[in-house]
Parts: sequence; structure tokens; C-alpha cells
Amino acid sequence: MELLALVLRNQKARPVRSLLTVLGILVATASMVLFLSFGEGLRQALASEMTKFGPEIRVVAEGTGVFGVPNPELDQGVLDTLRAHAGELGIARLFPAVVMMKGSGFDPATTFLFYGLPEGVTPKDLAPAARLVAGRLDPHPDGAVVGKQKAEQNRLTLGKTLRLSRQAEVPVVGIVDAGNGLADSFIFVPMKLLQRVLHTDQYSVILVYVAPGHKVDEVAARIRALVPGVDAQTTTEAIKYAERAIKIGDVIRFGISLIALIVGGLLVANTVMMSVYERIREFGVMRAIGARRGFIFRLVLLEALLLALAGGAVGVAAGYLGSWVVNLYTTQAVGLALSAVTPRLVLFSLAVALALGLSAGLLPARVASRISVVEALGRL
Amino acid sequence: MSGGGDRVLRARNLTKRYRQGEVWIDALKGFTYDFPPGVTAVVGPSGSGKTTLLNLLAGFDRPTAGEVFLAGHPLHALGEDERAGVRLTSAGFVFQSWNLLPTLSALENVAFPLLLKGIPRRERNERARALLAEVGLEHRSTHYPNQLSGGEQQRVAIARALALDPLVLFADEPTGNLDSAAGERVLELLLAQARGNRRVVLVTHDLEIAARAHRVLRLKDGRLVEIQGDDPT
Ligand SMILES: Nc1ncnc2c1ncn2[C@@H]1O[C@H](COP(=O)(O)OP(=O)(O)OP(=O)(O)O)[C@@H](O)[C@H]1O
Ligand SMILES: [Mg+2]
Repeated sequence: MELLALVLRNQKARPVRSLLTVLGILVATASMVLFLSFGEGLRQALASEMTKFGPEIRVVAEGTGVFGVPNPELDQGVLDTLRAHAGELGIARLFPAVVMMKGSGFDPATTFLFYGLPEGVTPKDLAPAARLVAGRLDPHPDGAVVGKQKAEQNRLTLGKTLRLSRQAEVPVVGIVDAGNGLADSFIFVPMKLLQRVLHTDQYSVILVYVAPGHKVDEVAARIRALVPGVDAQTTTEAIKYAERAIKIGDVIRFGISLIALIVGGLLVANTVMMSVYERIREFGVMRAIGARRGFIFRLVLLEALLLALAGGAVGVAAGYLGSWVVNLYTTQAVGLALSAVTPRLVLFSLAVALALGLSAGLLPARVASRISVVEALGRL
Repeated sequence: MSGGGDRVLRARNLTKRYRQGEVWIDALKGFTYDFPPGVTAVVGPSGSGKTTLLNLLAGFDRPTAGEVFLAGHPLHALGEDERAGVRLTSAGFVFQSWNLLPTLSALENVAFPLLLKGIPRRERNERARALLAEVGLEHRSTHYPNQLSGGEQQRVAIARALALDPLVLFADEPTGNLDSAAGERVLELLLAQARGNRRVVLVTHDLEIAARAHRVLRLKDGRLVEIQGDDPT
């Protein structure tokens, strides 16, 4: 405590320098927090997305990526086989669907993901929490039910016409709120219509609800074993798969922010080193009076830690603010809060700032504590 | 009475040799003396080894050869931190200038040795206040060193040197930067501290000042060449 008071006194004596150093650490920490918040945001978005999606298993043609848009490559035989063995497989309910993507796929505003649902199936069967905003829930016959997100993005209102191909058009008959999930940017249409557009009578995907008392993984394994040429993908698999990708992203993002962190650390080291050189006489007097080396060492190290921690704390706050601004934009654009400052990210960032201060302070602290008393006193 | 029995401040054959480029300089050659209680002035021309002697007596530096005891501790055989510990409890210092810690107030400067000793704040401040009053500066306790005159700074330094009631007080040209009036006041204060068993070692150029000590040691070319005054040995 006494040491802290001494350190603060010294910072107060050189306010501008202390402030600039804190600012440097602030920028470094804030950028790290912001960078890493994307990984955390993706994780959260993914988790909430997956819980909003009703069917636990999607059956697609082998070779389809976990997050890929599946081609209509499943024939009637697959559907029939699954239906015939539903009981023994542990399937409570299943239905086919056809998926078609139009547009670039990169810009959400010009990308249209059409979801063809068979008769008797509504968007609620995909996203149980979906809520009707306007019109009707069922796209049948010959209508399109648009996710709220998509509707807002492309100014789609009831009665507007959507063009699927040169021959096929459907009017918007309903707007559905799927709670900011992915389904919120889908456009649901009758499956028959999509099949006509794609000139196929096959299915892109068969969506499966697992019967109570059965394990999702086991049901998926049984489906794969029973039907050759298909893959049964579970939501947990998808999360695991995404988690791997996010982790790699985390490492890359941390690597990038490391540059800023190292610069910030050097800034602290430089500041503290300068203040050590300026205070050699002062340390000499302290040592002459009877301060041990460890006292000087701790004094200088604490100074570095304090600067780094102050910068780190304000940096986390700034990163939080930045993340909030980013989310303001991404919820508008893609309907997902892509950035999240989680408690563990805050703790991690403060730990990094602390480590930064520690490593930046060690050398100056060592130099200061090893000054010879005679030399220090000789300096005026 | 001889000061020797208790080894409060005793040097035996103390030698310091510096290297300057190719040549070796014997800054102090075989200094032997047992400081008795009272004020001992150390005089000699510039470069005669006065500061070197003081550095060794105070344990700032280690001798090349010889022994030095401070408050019974063999400084020549102790490490940096052990010598610092001996200094804290047994010695006080007043240098020519730049004595005080610039970011601390007069009171905090005086309290600093008490802080190092681990004395709680309340008691620290109480004792520091009393010490400041003793040197006539209670009204300056919240002033910072750059708000004090040179003489006041030296008096604060004396108060600080007395904080832990040391056996030995070292002063290297304490009035060197002061005008005669301020210098006189500092000197009187310093001389008045030679009470009881305490030793005051006063390094000075000024023979008039030296004459007011109980005894005078004269150094020349690193050698103790003359002892004047009441040398009890
Ligand atoms: N760190 C050092 N390295 C080399 N030589 C030194 C060092 N310190 C002192 N000397 C030399 O030792 C000799 C004695 O120096 P010292 O400072 O003890 O003299 P002094 O009597 O205090 O002089 P002054 O009255 O000018 O303060 C001088 O020749 C000086 O140049
Ligand atoms: Mg000198």
C-alpha cells in the first residue's frame, strides 16, 4: 500500500507521460478485446442459432459441408427408406425440403436463400420459436413467407412479388420473426415450386426430429449406416465444427493484436526505463537511507504494472464500447450480434495487460535496483 | 573513554583502490581510526579521499582491503542489502545537496526511513512532525523540496537523518551550498546532535567549521596524516 502511494506520487509528478503511456496500452488492449470479441460473438450466435433450429439432424448427400447449402441430390428412395424405418431409427418426425441460393452469397442484401417446404410444413417446424408478424405462416399455395430480417433488408412487404426464375414468381404472403436467427433471412416457399424451378424431383435435405429417449448422435449413426450415400449431420457436430474454425480464427486474431500489444509493452518499458534514468539520484538517496534493493525493484515494477493495468482496464471498456458499435451494424446487416465481450474475455485481457506490465517492468526494475549507491549519489 | 570497545564506528587498515583507465588510484590508504563519541571533522584538500572514506564508513561501497565496523556490524563483510539494513537503523545522512525525494513533502521525507522500517503511518507522521519541530520547520511540513530554501532543505535532511535515532550521523559538506547565515544554522543543528554515545562525522573544506568539532582528522593523498583535538586514544 505504501509502495502504491509512492508510485502514484511519481505518476502525478509526470501526468502527461503517464497518460500517454496508459493511452498506448489502452489502444492495444481495446483492439485485442475487439478482435477477440468476434470469436466470442460467433460462438454465442452459433449456440443461440442452433437452439433456435428445431430439427436435430439434417440428412444431406454425402460430401455436403456442415454449413454448406445442400444440392437436391436425395431421391424419393432415401425418404421412403427413412420413413419406413423411422420407428427403429428413433425418428419422431421427418420432412424433406429443397434449398436454393440466389445471389452472391457474400453480401447478405443481394443473397436470397429460398427454403422449399412440403405441404403441411410451416416455418414453425424449422424454427419452433418463430412468430408471425404479418400475413400468414404457411407459404402454400403459391406464396412466400419471408424472414423478418430479410424483409427489412430488402424492403419486402406483403403483396410484393419475388422472382425465382424467369418463369416463376410468387407474392409475399407472410412475414415471420424467427428471433434474429439464420431462419430470419430465409424465404420460405412451397417445395413443389422450387423443384419446378430447379427442374428436379429430388430433395436437398431431409430434416429429422429425434424421438424422445433417443440420443441424437446414435440416431445419426444409424441413419448413416442404413442409407448409403447420405450424411446425417447433427447440430452438435455443426457446433463442434464451427468451434474449430472459430478457434483458428481466435489464434489468428490474437496474433494480429499481439503486434499492438508488443508495441504497448515497449511503450511501458520505455516510459518506465526513462523514469528510472531520471530518478537514479532519487534511488541513490533511498538506498543511502537504508532501502534494500528489493524495495526499489518492487517500486519500479509496480509502476509498470500500474500503467499497464490502468491502460488494460480502460482498454477493456473501450473494447466493449467498440463491440457495441460493431453489433449495432451487424445486427442491421446480417441479423447477428457478431461481437461479444464475455466475462472470460475481460479476464483474459486484464491478464494479458498484467503480463505485459510485468514483462515491461522487469528490466527497468532490475536496472534500478542494481544501481550502485556511490554512483547514484555522485550524479547530480 | 575509548570508543573502541563497542565498535560503533571503527576502521582498520581501510583501503580503497580505483581503476582509472590504465592506472590504479589509491583513493584511501590504510586508514585506521576508532571514532569516539562527539563530532569528528574530516578535512583535506580536494581529492584527498574524504568522500571515499565516508562512502566506506557508511557502507555505500566496500573497501578493497581492511575492516570497517558500524554499530558493531562488519560492513566490509556484508552484502548490499545487509549494509542497507545497518544504515537504516544505525546511520543518518546529510549530503551537500539533493538530499530529499522530490515527489514527497517535507513531512513525508522525514517519515521515509520510518516507512522503510515498517512503522505504521499514524505513528510515522507523529514522529516526523516532532522531528520537523525540532529543526524549526513544523510550518513547512506540507511543502515540497522545490518549495524550500537550501537551508530549509538541509534542516529537513537533518530531521530525516535523526528519524531512527542513529548512533552515527554522516555529513558531507552539509553547508557547502549555503550562505553563511543559513549555513551557521544548519551547522549548529548538526553539532547539537552529538549527544550521548552518538558520533557525528563531518566532512568539510572549511577549517573554521572543522575547528568547532571535538577533533579533526586531516587526510592527504588518501592517508590519515594528522589528528587534532581531544583524541581519547
Ligand atoms: N568512482 C571513482 N573512480 C575512480 N576514481 C575515483 C572515484 N571516486 C573517487 N576517485 C578518486 O579518488 C580520489 C579521492 O576522491 P574523493 O572524492 O574521495 O576526494 P574528496 O576528498 O572527497 O574530494 P573533494 O573535496 O573534491 O570532494 C580522487 O583522486 C578521485 O579522483
Ligand atoms: Mg568529496
